[in-house]
Amino acid sequence: MASHAPSPVQRLKSENIFVRTVQNISSVAGWCSALMILAAVFLTCQMIFIRFVLNGSTVWQTEYVVFLVISATLIGLPFVQFQRGHVNVDLIPLALKGRVRFALAIVTLSLSIAITAIMLFYGYEHWHFAWARGWTSDTVTAVPLWIPYLSLPLGFGLLLLQLIADLVALLIKSETPFGLEA
Amino acid sequence: MDPLLLGALVGICTILVLFSGVSVGVGLLVVSAGFLVIFDGMRSLELMPEIFFGKLDSFALLSIPMFIIMGSSIASTRAGADLYEALERWLTRVPGGLVISNLGACALFAAMSGSSPATCAAIGKMGIPEMLKRGYPEGIATGSIAAGGTLGILIPPSVTMIVYGVATETSIGRLFLAGVFPGLMLVSLFMAWSIYATWKSGDMALMTARSYSWREKFEVLPRVLPFVGIIIGVLYAMYGGVATPSETAAVGALLCLTVAIVIYKLYDIRKIWNILQESTKESVMILFIIAAAGVFSYMLSSLSITQSIATWIGTLDVNPWVLMISVNIFLIIVGFFLPPVAVILMAAPILLPIITTAGFDPIWFAVILTINMEIGLISPPVGLNLYVINGIAPDISLRTILMGSLPFVACMLLAIVLLCVFPGIATWLPEAVMGPAL
Repeated sequence: MASHAPSPVQRLKSENIFVRTVQNISSVAGWCSALMILAAVFLTCQMIFIRFVLNGSTVWQTEYVVFLVISATLIGLPFVQFQRGHVNVDLIPLALKGRVRFALAIVTLSLSIAITAIMLFYGYEHWHFAWARGWTSDTVTAVPLWIPYLSLPLGFGLLLLQLIADLVALLIKSETPFGLEA
Repeated sequence: MDPLLLGALVGICTILVLFSGVSVGVGLLVVSAGFLVIFDGMRSLELMPEIFFGKLDSFALLSIPMFIIMGSSIASTRAGADLYEALERWLTRVPGGLVISNLGACALFAAMSGSSPATCAAIGKMGIPEMLKRGYPEGIATGSIAAGGTLGILIPPSVTMIVYGVATETSIGRLFLAGVFPGLMLVSLFMAWSIYATWKSGDMALMTARSYSWREKFEVLPRVLPFVGIIIGVLYAMYGGVATPSETAAVGALLCLTVAIVIYKLYDIRKIWNILQESTKESVMILFIIAAAGVFSYMLSSLSITQSIATWIGTLDVNPWVLMISVNIFLIIVGFFLPPVAVILMAAPILLPIITTAGFDPIWFAVILTINMEIGLISPPVGLNLYVINGIAPDISLRTILMGSLPFVACMLLAIVLLCVFPGIATWLPEAVMGPAL
């Protein structure tokens, strides 16, 4: 089946120690991401309560909620990769068989690793600029931007780790290319 | 290189990369990085993480995970089955009552969950076996649910509409309202076809279902009302000026989660974690594509591709309706292969200037685009809903499900034609509630 959406079947943890360790780290990242989204729900509700029920002013909540959701997205990337939750179109892989499909899986994973490494490198640079130069947001709260920007190197770093683990799992044949049946 | 030629090259490379099985978000980043390096130099890569982050830096995007939590909470309960039961008991005297109650349940569940596959699964699990038991033809039983499920991305609150709103900087409130009447029109068309096809199948016994006492009819209502109440409350808060879509979505998410835990007795912490996990997966997946598409559209704009296409279309001097038909054909074809969110994010920045230059309303176009995406959900080769139905009713062949869905595709095409002839179906309600767009 060519997939439009994430597979409903949860991916099982590997027997290889490296792959399993990375999968465990990704699962923890998933927990953190889910908790950040939940925190954003509560914070938004708190903001509405203060504004409409207590008639108070809300200054910091909107910005914090946005940063929480951005961080949840970036930190959640490895977890979604581990769960095969990133949507893809596998028309070409389905049309291929055996070694050619395997080779394509290696190529696509290598491409993913390359672009993630680029995002990690420049994401780290961006974070480092914000940290070294003391950048703050333009709002009244003047949030030090290195804090939310930290999710860039952290998220892409963890995603890179998960993608490498996926490549290892593929090379040691503990997983099939694209998770498709042979 | 000529920007138009470059645009064609970007299009071909994007299709090839995306079809190779790489995830959509990563694929968009790969294509963007490749073209930026070749035509703008290595230094342009420095901007990618900043653009990626900046694209997510929007309070409007908060509504996506919130509405997804709402949908997941509802989908994890018996709400779908209760809704189905309630409608079946209340509509039992209507000709073709069962298929009508299925479609009605699909429309209501779609409004509550905002997800097409979740709607198919929730209503189909109850509806398809019941219709087959009563002797409805397999094609109608499965096709109606597959088509009914697609309403999830049109009837508000719809995540697809939020994504369009964010991508095109259009009011999400207006977009939600624009989906109401076209959604109802589609349900009516689906119902009309189902009744006709059932009647044509020759088995008039199907038209009459078992009868229910008033007691049976009323006893099912309390189980349905909490979620319906939340949806009405959310929509009231949004249009009553109480809160923004993101804020109301957050309250809706908290209420739906509470209702799932308290009323549907979802005490098991693992099940609650499961809701959060599924919501996180879907939210991160969509938000990742949004951010990557932001980088992709920066690349298009930086290489002057978007501007050149819009200028080129402007010089063609084609009839706007010929243009609209071409856009529709393009969207249907792309929708066959790519998920709605990806199509909207990639196509909207290119198509919107063309559409507005030709004099079409962007709110109206959102509805047209969404119906095109609905067609993709029940058409091969990807057709997610077809596979969801196949999973629920494995005894029925994919071919039968597909053939059963085709008349509903025709209904959607008819809806697009009706919307072109009578654009007010989509634009009247937003203007009546929120005033003319500025």
